[in-house]
Amino acid sequence: MTTAQGKSASREDVLRQRDRERQRGWGQFLLSVVIVLVIVWAWNGSEIELYRLAESGGRIAEFLGRMIPPDLSVLPVVIESSAETLRIAILGTIGCVVLSIVLGVLAATNLSPSWVHVPVKAVLAVIRGIPLILVAMLMVGAVGLGPLPGILAIAFHATGMLAKFYAEAIESVDPAPMEALESAGATFLQKLLFGAWPQIAPDILRDTLFRFEMNLRESLILGVVGAGGIGFYIQMYVRAFQYEKVATLALVVIAFVVLIELGNSAIRGMLR
Amino acid sequence: MADDVIALRELDFRHPGNDRPTLAIPELRIGAGQRMALIGASGAGKSTLLRLLDGRLRGWSGGSTVLGRSLDPDRPPPRHWRRGVGFVFQEFALVERETVRQNVLNGRLGHADALWSLTGRFAASDHAAAERAIRDVGMDEFTERRVDRLSGGQRQRVAIARCLAQEPRIILADEPISSLDPATARAVLELLRDSAVDRGATLVISSHQPQLVAGYVDRFVALDRGRIIFDGSPEAIDERQLSGIYGEASQSMMGETV
Repeated sequence: MTTAQGKSASREDVLRQRDRERQRGWGQFLLSVVIVLVIVWAWNGSEIELYRLAESGGRIAEFLGRMIPPDLSVLPVVIESSAETLRIAILGTIGCVVLSIVLGVLAATNLSPSWVHVPVKAVLAVIRGIPLILVAMLMVGAVGLGPLPGILAIAFHATGMLAKFYAEAIESVDPAPMEALESAGATFLQKLLFGAWPQIAPDILRDTLFRFEMNLRESLILGVVGAGGIGFYIQMYVRAFQYEKVATLALVVIAFVVLIELGNSAIRGMLR
Repeated sequence: MADDVIALRELDFRHPGNDRPTLAIPELRIGAGQRMALIGASGAGKSTLLRLLDGRLRGWSGGSTVLGRSLDPDRPPPRHWRRGVGFVFQEFALVERETVRQNVLNGRLGHADALWSLTGRFAASDHAAAERAIRDVGMDEFTERRVDRLSGGQRQRVAIARCLAQEPRIILADEPISSLDPATARAVLELLRDSAVDRGATLVISSHQPQLVAGYVDRFVALDRGRIIFDGSPEAIDERQLSGIYGEASQSMMGETV
């Protein structure tokens, strides 16, 4: 009896397993069809003509040829506008750090009740979804041309990501040391400063440096919409076909970004 | 008794949604300078009782007087009271990225000025107390080492030093030897006993290892499902009582004495 039941059970298991495999097979087939359709739609809609790519080789070589030698006469202008870009990135980062501290605490599930952290996290997701260039255009419309709209755009746009990182760092705090400090007679602020901050400080500083690097790269294009910095000159020289000036500009930008990244890497190394 | 530092009566605590009491203690008194071990199987209520004595348990009923203060079941005790009761945590509860010195100084936060300490500076008396505690636990050569680079035994010594830096009148130690090898466990128990004796502090240790703690305390209180089932000297407990507490696992539990 037991053996018969066992056999019947195992036969049912085999049939169920076969059903599951069949369903999985259909699922994979449908997924493959959807992926192919998406690729075909993207390709057809973009009017890609491969012969144009093949013919462009000569023109690209010509552009590169016209970039040599770089025109160093624009160096003072390029350095000044790079400094402006750096100022936008620094002030924008400070702005997003301030906003992110507040919103990060509000978005942390271990510090804020669900009626606070759920909507705050949703707002941060929406902010992350708005492209920087769109925010910059809106800020230019609101406060006029110059670095200020760039700073405001960076501060707003970067908060979506940085506040999320801060919230995750706060959520990772081990509560045991804070409980131990409370037991020793620490006040709430002492618990935060001596129990929580040492646990999250390296993550917070690493995330902030990473965001600063991103802000710097994103600031490079803000000038295109009139929000200050080197982007204005990139646009101007490219439109005027002054590629030897563009070359100087590209070299300064590369040196600038590499230097900042080296500095950040050194600081990150010290945080371990 | 006038010199009791801990006095509980008609104490009852139940976890929310649980009809069975986690603690049900008609009376328990612990005198000043006494060294006591709380023994009992997992879930007996040892850690819960220690949390109550440390003022961190909420929602109990009955009477609980510790260091002359009647504890409020709904409110945490004030800062000056909390610094009088030191707690050694089972998993050390240290700030891993900080040095031994900073972790031990953290034990002085209850003494330090609430605002001035936020600048990260401590008074000379706080530094002196921390250095003495570090020396007493034998960690003076590791003072500037980060805690995450220490062994389990060394971390427990740092946790004890943090508690001692508090200059507590009562030391509560929750399973302080559960994650240590027997030799390190004996060294930690010796350290706790000697520190309590030197400072005239009352010591309450919870442990699953009565055979190890027996040589370091003068009183055993055994808990079973929140109730006291034995209260006496370590020598007075026998195999039958131990098997009542730990079941078959109690075989020869007291065979190995220290």
